Amino acid sequence: MNKITNHDQLLQLEHPFVKIPLEKFKSSLKVSQKHIEKEISTLTNTVSDISKKSQQGDMNPAEVEKALEAIVHRLSNLKRRLKDTRAEESLYSQRTKVRLQHLQEFTTIPTLDSDGFGRWSRVRLNRILVDYMLREGFRETAALLAKSEGIEEMVDIELFVQSRKVEQALQRFSCTECLQWCHENKSNLKKIKSTLEFSLREQEFIELVRKRQTQEAIAYARKHLIVWQETHMREIKKVMGLLAFPPSTNCQPYKGLYDASRWKKLIARFRADNFALQCFTPEPILNVTLQAGLSALKTPMCYIDEHRNVNCPVCDGETLGALATDLPLSHHLNSTIVCRISGQIMNEDNLPMVLPNGYVYSYNALMEMASMNNGKATCPRTGAVYDISQIKKVFIS
Amino acid sequence: MNAFVDDYEKISKRQRTLETNDPLDRLIALVNTAKDKIHDDPNSVQTALTGLGKMVKSVSSSIQDDHKELQSSLSKFTKALDKKYSCDMMAAMNPRAFDNKEKLLQKTIALHFIRQGNFTIGDAFAKEAGLDVPDELRHQFMDMFDIVAAMKTDDLEPALQWAKLHRPELEKRGSSLEFKLHRQRFLQLLKQKKDKLAIEYAQTHFGYFGFRHTAEISRLMCSVLFMGRLMTSPYADLLTPGTAADIQHMFTRDFCSLIGLSCESPLYLSVTVGTQALPAMIKMASIMKAKKAEWSQESEMAVESNLTDDTKFHSIFVCPVSKEQATDDNPPMMMVCGHVICKESLQKLCRGSQNLRFKCPYCPQESMASQAKNVYF
Ligand SMILES: [Zn+2]
Ligand SMILES: [Zn+2]
Repeated sequence: MNKITNHDQLLQLEHPFVKIPLEKFKSSLKVSQKHIEKEISTLTNTVSDISKKSQQGDMNPAEVEKALEAIVHRLSNLKRRLKDTRAEESLYSQRTKVRLQHLQEFTTIPTLDSDGFGRWSRVRLNRILVDYMLREGFRETAALLAKSEGIEEMVDIELFVQSRKVEQALQRFSCTECLQWCHENKSNLKKIKSTLEFSLREQEFIELVRKRQTQEAIAYARKHLIVWQETHMREIKKVMGLLAFPPSTNCQPYKGLYDASRWKKLIARFRADNFALQCFTPEPILNVTLQAGLSALKTPMCYIDEHRNVNCPVCDGETLGALATDLPLSHHLNSTIVCRISGQIMNEDNLPMVLPNGYVYSYNALMEMASMNNGKATCPRTGAVYDISQIKKVFIS
Repeated sequence: MNAFVDDYEKISKRQRTLETNDPLDRLIALVNTAKDKIHDDPNSVQTALTGLGKMVKSVSSSIQDDHKELQSSLSKFTKALDKKYSCDMMAAMNPRAFDNKEKLLQKTIALHFIRQGNFTIGDAFAKEAGLDVPDELRHQFMDMFDIVAAMKTDDLEPALQWAKLHRPELEKRGSSLEFKLHRQRFLQLLKQKKDKLAIEYAQTHFGYFGFRHTAEISRLMCSVLFMGRLMTSPYADLLTPGTAADIQHMFTRDFCSLIGLSCESPLYLSVTVGTQALPAMIKMASIMKAKKAEWSQESEMAVESNLTDDTKFHSIFVCPVSKEQATDDNPPMMMVCGHVICKESLQKLCRGSQNLRFKCPYCPQESMASQAKNVYF
C-alpha cells in the first residue's frame, strides 16, 4: 500500500489548471462591471438633467418620454454588447468550478495503488497532452482527444485561437496583429514589464530600412520609437545606426539587426508574454513532469545493455532514454535490490539470496523455480545450475 | 481543497445571479416604468422623474455593492489559492534538455496512444506530427486489445488460443497464464452451476498442468462439491471479483513481455512518477536557487525521489559504510558473514592488507578481505 500523505503538495502542480479559467473569469467580469458602472453614472446624470429641464419647462412630457426611451435604447445596446463578455464569465466560472471539483476528487484518493488514482492520473495525462498539442500547433488531434475523453472543460483550446493568429502573422513577417494584441493587453503587459511592443516597433523600423524607405523610417522612428527614449535609448541609437548600412552589410551589430532570425525571437517573446498573461507555465506541463519522472527513474544502468529492463522507461534508447540523455541521474541514499528473475523488490518479506557464483536473486523467485525443477535453480545470467540447498542469505543494510 | 470548492460555490452562485438578474435589466425596468407612468398620466412627470432619480440611485448603489462584493470575494479566493498552491515549477526543470528532440517526444506520444489501444488518436497525432508508426506494433496491439475486449465479456477463448500458441515462450518465463485461464474457464462453468461441463473441461484441459499445479487442481476439483454455495464455503476466495481483472492484467503483462515491451505505457509511467517526484524537486530547486547554485546543470539530482516498488527497475547498491553507490571500479563485496559493503570500504577496513582479520561493521564475525566475494545484483 502506498498511501498518499500530502495531497495538497501534489496538487501544487495543478495551480495553473485552476488559475487559467479563474483569471479569465475575473478579467471578463471586470470588463462588464466597468461598462455597467460607467453607464450608471451616465444614467444618473441624464435622469437629473431631464428632471431639471422638465421642471424649468424646457421639456414637455412627450419629450421626456422620448428621452427616457433613448435611455432604454442605450441600456439595451450595452446589454447586447456585453452579451459575449457575459457568456465568457459564465463559461470560465463554470470551468473553474469543474476543475476545482476534479482536484477535490483527487483528495479523496487514499493510495497510489487504487483504481481511483489510475483513473485520475490518466485524465491528467490526457489533459496535459492536449495542452502540449495546443502549444505545438497540433490542434486537430488536441480537439479530437479532448472530445473523445470528454475533458473539454479541463483544457483551453479556444485560448490558443487568437495567439495562433498572431503567431501566424509574425511568421508572415507582419507585426500588425501582434501590435494590436499588445494594445489590447497594454496594462497587463506593463505589469509584467514586457518590452515586446518596443521590439515590434524596432522590427517595423528595420523592415522600412531594409526596403531603403529612409524618409518613412525616420518618420516611423519619430512617431513610435522616441516614446521609449527613457528606457530604451541605447537600443534606439543602435537601431538608428542601421540607416547607414545596407542590408548586405557584414558589419555587426547591423548584420544581426537585419537577420531574419529576429522574427523567430519575436514569436518566442510573444509566446512567453502571452503565456505569462494567461497564467500558463512557460514550458508545457508535459515537459516539466516528464523531465522530473525521467530524472527520478534514470540510473547509469539504463544505458548498459546487460542491465536494461524492458519495463524501465529510460532503458528504451529509441524514445525516452534518448530524451533523458541531458537530464540528471536519480539520487539514492539507500540500496534497492531488484530481482532479475521476478522484478520484485528484495526485502525482509522476500530475502535476497546469493548463488555460489555470487549472483543474487530473491528467495521467492528461486524457490518457485526450484519447486518446478526438482529442487534445482538456474542462474538466468550465467546458465549455471545449483541445488536449492546451496543458496545463502545475503545482508544488504 | 474542500474549503476552496465550498468558497467557490458561493462565488459561482453570485455569478449565476448576475446572469439571471442582470443589473442592466433592472435599470431598463426602472426607466420603462417611469416612461409608462408619464405616458398614462402626463401630469405626473415631476413625481415620476423624482421617483426615477431616487430609484436609480438606490438600485445603482445596490448594483455597485454586488459588484464590489463579488470582486472582493474573488480576489480573496485567488489570494488564498495562490498562497496554498502556487509553486515555482520551472525552477525544477531544464528548458533546454529537450532541445532538438521534439520528434522523439512526439514519437513517444504516438506510441503511447497505440499502446493504450487508442488507435484513432494515435493515427491522428502521427499524421498531424508527420510521424511513421510501425505497422507491426500497431497490429500487435490491435491483437492484444481484441483479446482483452473478449476477456471483458468473459470470453476467454481468444486468450487461451494465444497462450497455447506461445506455450514454450511463456513457460520459459515461468508464466502460468495458460493454466490460470483454464482455471478461470472452469470457475465460470461452476458459477453457472454446470458441474458436469466443468468436470469434463477439467478432464480435457488440466492434465497437462498436473505436474506444476497439483495442489491447485485438487482444490478446484474439490470446490465442485460446494457448487451453488461456494460463497459460504472454504472456497469463497475462488469467486473474488478481482480475479477476472487480475487475469486480464496477467495476460497484458505476458503479451507485452513476449513482444519485448513494458506492460505499462512508458509515457504514463514517467509522467506519473514525475508528478510524485516534483514537489521535493521544486523545494530543493528553490533552496539551490537561493544559494545561487544551478539545478539543471548537475549530473545527479540533489534529492532522492521516493519511488514506489513497482517503479523501481534497477538494483542500486549504496555502501552502508561510505554511503557511495557501487560502480564497476568499486563493486559490492560480500564478507564471509553475508554482509555486503563496497570494495573501497573493505580496503579501508583491512587497511589494504588482504590477510588481516577485521571485524564486520554490522556483526561480530571476523574475516579477511581475501575471503570476500563479488556479488552481482
Ligand atoms: Zn532503466
Ligand atoms: Zn557481518
